Formats: sequence, C-alpha cells, structure tokens
Amino acid sequence: METLGIYVPRLVTKRQGFTPGHRACSGCGEALAVKLVMKALGRNVIVVMSTGCMEVISTQLPYTAWEVPWIHTLFENSAIVASGIEAGMKALNRKGTPLPKAKVVAIGGDGATFDIGLGAISGAFERGHDFLYVCLDNEAYMNTGIQRSSATPFGASTTTQPAGKVSMGQSTWKKNMPAIAIAHDIPYVATACPSYPFDLMNKVKKAAEIEGPTYVHILSVCPTGWRIPTDMTIRLGRLAVETGVFPLYEVENGKYTLNYDPPRLRPVEDYLKPQGRFRHLTPKMVKKIQQRVSVEYASLKEKAASG
Amino acid sequence: MDKLTEIRWHGRGGQGAVTSAELTALAAIKEGKFAQAFPSFGPERRGAPVLAFNRISESEHIRVRSAVTQPDIVVVLDPGLLYIVDVTSGLKDGGALIINSSKKLVDIKLEFGGPWQLAVVNATTIALELLKVPIVNTTMLGALLKVSDAIKLDFLLEPIEERFGKLAQRNIEACKRAYEETSVAEPSPTSKKVERAYAKESWPSWQELAPGFVVTEPGNARSYRTGDWRAQCPEWNHDRCIKCGICSLFCPEDCIRPNERGYPEADLYYCKGCGICARECWTQAITMGEEVKE
Repeated sequence: METLGIYVPRLVTKRQGFTPGHRACSGCGEALAVKLVMKALGRNVIVVMSTGCMEVISTQLPYTAWEVPWIHTLFENSAIVASGIEAGMKALNRKGTPLPKAKVVAIGGDGATFDIGLGAISGAFERGHDFLYVCLDNEAYMNTGIQRSSATPFGASTTTQPAGKVSMGQSTWKKNMPAIAIAHDIPYVATACPSYPFDLMNKVKKAAEIEGPTYVHILSVCPTGWRIPTDMTIRLGRLAVETGVFPLYEVENGKYTLNYDPPRLRPVEDYLKPQGRFRHLTPKMVKKIQQRVSVEYASLKEKAASG
Repeated sequence: MDKLTEIRWHGRGGQGAVTSAELTALAAIKEGKFAQAFPSFGPERRGAPVLAFNRISESEHIRVRSAVTQPDIVVVLDPGLLYIVDVTSGLKDGGALIINSSKKLVDIKLEFGGPWQLAVVNATTIALELLKVPIVNTTMLGALLKVSDAIKLDFLLEPIEERFGKLAQRNIEACKRAYEETSVAEPSPTSKKVERAYAKESWPSWQELAPGFVVTEPGNARSYRTGDWRAQCPEWNHDRCIKCGICSLFCPEDCIRPNERGYPEADLYYCKGCGICARECWTQAITMGEEVKE
C-alpha cells in the first residue's frame, strides 16, 4: 500500500507532560484525556488536582507521572488552591520578585466538580482568577468503586443505585455542569472528548490563552465503570457525540458555537447498547432518554444559531 | 495444633482471584471447618497482579490475620504471572502448585518442578468454551479440588449457586471439567529453581522521603513497568500500515512511537494491551495477538 505523507504525531508534540508508567486501568479514557491536555498545555503550567482516580493512579509515592509542578488537594479544594497560587504569583509580581509566567490549571473529576467542589469552583469563577478548570467527567465515583455522582446519567446502574427489581439505576438526570459554568459569565466554556483529540487540544490551548477563569469539560470514557471492553473507549466517546448525548460546543463570551453538528443524530440506543451499565433499560426508558436528549440538543442548536 | 491449610491465589485484577478465595472459604465453612478469605492489592487497577489468601482449619478458630507467606497450596490463575511474580516464594515442601497453562505438564515441570505436587490445567480454554469469557476463577476451583481435600465439591455447589445465580450451572460444569482435566505430577526431591529477573519494586524507607512527601524527580513513573498487566499484545502488519499514527494519538499510555523505519511500534514496557490501537486503526493493520512471555 502506498505510504501517505501525513503522520499524525508530526502535528502533536512528542513531549510528555504526563508520562507512561501511570497505573490507570487498561483502556482508560481519562488517562488519554490528561495526556492530550498536557500535550496541549506544554510545560509552563502548575497543575492542582483534586482527589480522584487520576490523582491516585498518577502519583503513587514515590512515583509521579507528572513532568510539571503538581500539587494534590482534597476533593473540594482544587479551585481554592488554584486561586491561591494565582493570587500568590500576582502578589510576588507586585512586590518585585516576579516568577516566570505560568498558567494555573485545576483538574478534577466529576465528583470533585459536580458534587464536592462545586461551591469552591463557583467562588473562584466569580472572583475572576486567571486559571483553567478541567473537569474529567467519567460519570461516577470510579476511584472508590462506581458510586453514583450527580454526573451519572439517568438509568445508569451504579453500585449505590444498582439496577434490580426495585431500582432502575440512577433515577435523576445528569447535572448540566457546563451550563452552570456558563451562568457565571466566564470568558470561555467548552466541552470536549478525547475521541476528537484535535478538537480537545485546540480547546484546551484556547482556554489557557484566555485571561480569566475558563472551564473545559471533558467526557472521559471509563471501561471499568461503564462496563465495556477496554478497546471500545474511543468508539463510545464518538457515539456519545454522534447521538447528541454529549454535544461538543464552546461558549466564548456568551456566544455559542457547535463544533460538531452532524446532519442527523444517531439514535441514543446506539450509545446505550454497548454499555453494561445500561443493559437493563426498557424500551420505554430508552425512549424517555431519547426525548430528553433531542430536546436538549435542539435548544443548544437554537442557542448556537442565534449566536 | 490443628491442621491448618494455607492457600495463596495469584491472579490479575478483574480475573476473579478474590471470588475464588471467597468461594473456597464458604465451602469450608459449610463443611463445618473454620476459614478465612481475604485479598491483598494496592491501588492498582484492572489487569495488575493481585493476591488473595485462604486459611482453612479443621476444627479450631484461626487467630492469625496476616498475609500468607508460607502457603501449602499456590494457585496461579494467569500463566503470564509465572514470569513476573515469584509464585513459588515460601511454598512449603510437600505442598502443591496449581497452574493454569496451555502448556503440557512435562514442560511446566522442567521450569516449576520442585518438592511439591505440580498440577496443570488449561483453565482458560475450558472457561472460554463453557462460560464464553476468560474468567477462570470457578474453573481453577476444580483443579484445587483434585489436589487438596481442604474443600469438597458437595459443599462448593451452594456458594457457587448463591454467587452466580443463572450462570451457576455453567460454572459448576467448568469446575467439574477442570477436575477431570487437571494433570498432576508428584513432587520431585530437588528444586532446580530457575533464576528470573522478577519485576521488583524497591521502596525507599520513610526516612529517605522528602518532608511533605515531595517528589522531586519529574515523571519518575517512567521506571514503573505496567507492561506486566497485558494479556494481549498489539502487532503491526507492515503491509497494511500507512504510518498515519492514529494509534499513537489514541494510546492512553502514550507508548506508541515510530521505529527507525517509520512504522509505529508499542513500547511493551508500558503497553497494557487495551486494544484501542487495533480498534481505531483505519487500515486494520493492527491485531491483538495472544501475549507470549519468554
């Protein structure tokens, strides 16, 4: 076969901010997301990370998978510590002992972002600190064994809301975290998925360049918690976008842009079927999910059209 | 002192070593014996080597709570573990070593024979045929039954039914078939232990760590081998490969790099064998082959 001249790694830096040797499950979408985020950000960053899968698998004493300054904080604190670092750097600048310019990046899982750290994130957004918040959303507390979070989608079976005779899995809808971030009127909010790596890296780069608080929400597929084969990670992320369950969009100073708008959405069933956590769903529940997804997608499309 | 049987299970996260140990203990308790079952693992994830332990006592309470270091029986659920973990470590003379392997007993004996009974069963094939998944926990119980009288099949049936529900019958079948197919070799007087370079971690003592547990060497996780977790290994067909590099972009370990001829190649020191590269390759140049170790 003819050898083509394109070679993807030429477009992507080989430098690793996040090294191999980390202890994520095989096929981890979150590790992939962090790898891409770090490739986009380069070396000039300070990373603040909340407790969660990514923290546990990447920094097991005496090892670290990070090549950048990295600090561990508790679940609720990443936005607070990031604010403190940013304010501290400002103060040092003012007092005449400036540090080299570095972007502060706070990273948290969906538990740290949606549930435990929400107040702190809201505060940091409101105070207008110059930092980037990255949410790695794998839709449950995967680190401790697949407990539900408020990011868990409707119908998903978790260990704390298992599907059975009485319960049908998660009974509430997923919290719309990007909308909460948008409501803070911050300069940049985006959703991304590692199945679309260049879109993800561009968004992270853009968010890091903008002054002020920015938020990037990344859907990271978890083969262990979603109960899928490890090689399906990328495909599932793609299906989430193609079915409209997780639309890729960005909001720049209030202006919505849909980054991927297929002419026709695939039925949500395509996305739900391969996943073990949705195995128990009845056609009625699938229909309910389809309705909700269609309505939300239509409203997003409308916002994007009106600019 | 009453007879105490200690069993150590070597498996991988997600393979069912913990379940095996639990079922063994439940069967012993049903028989009126005293038993313990407990696992041991770090924060490693699916695919990492894990340990599980059993203690079974005929008629006395078991007061010991520590990990088993000198087992009477060692069960190895994954053939790949034989070359990365020292499975015979502490195994008592006159004990038993039970291995899941597709190799023949004589070949295994050359490598792992010693003053212990050696039992080999091709549990993965049995599990794949009967259960359709490569999870060998119940299958290996059959091999254990053959070698040891610590537990009995009659008492094992009920715990299996409770645990597996609809799938119980097939699991029991797998267990019985393994019992029949297990080949056992009697102990040989001398152990010719083959020296192997096991992946060992050297842990610094707490005095050597920096205050506040600051790690000053960036990216030192590179020295940690995660390639041991792999069950399948990616192989590139260079006739089909167009060197596009999509595989390297989607690799969660970031361990795929072009070799000197420009073809992508996985660094097997890190590759966990997730299969994303094979799934995402446009030209289907990558296949996931059975992992062959040494």
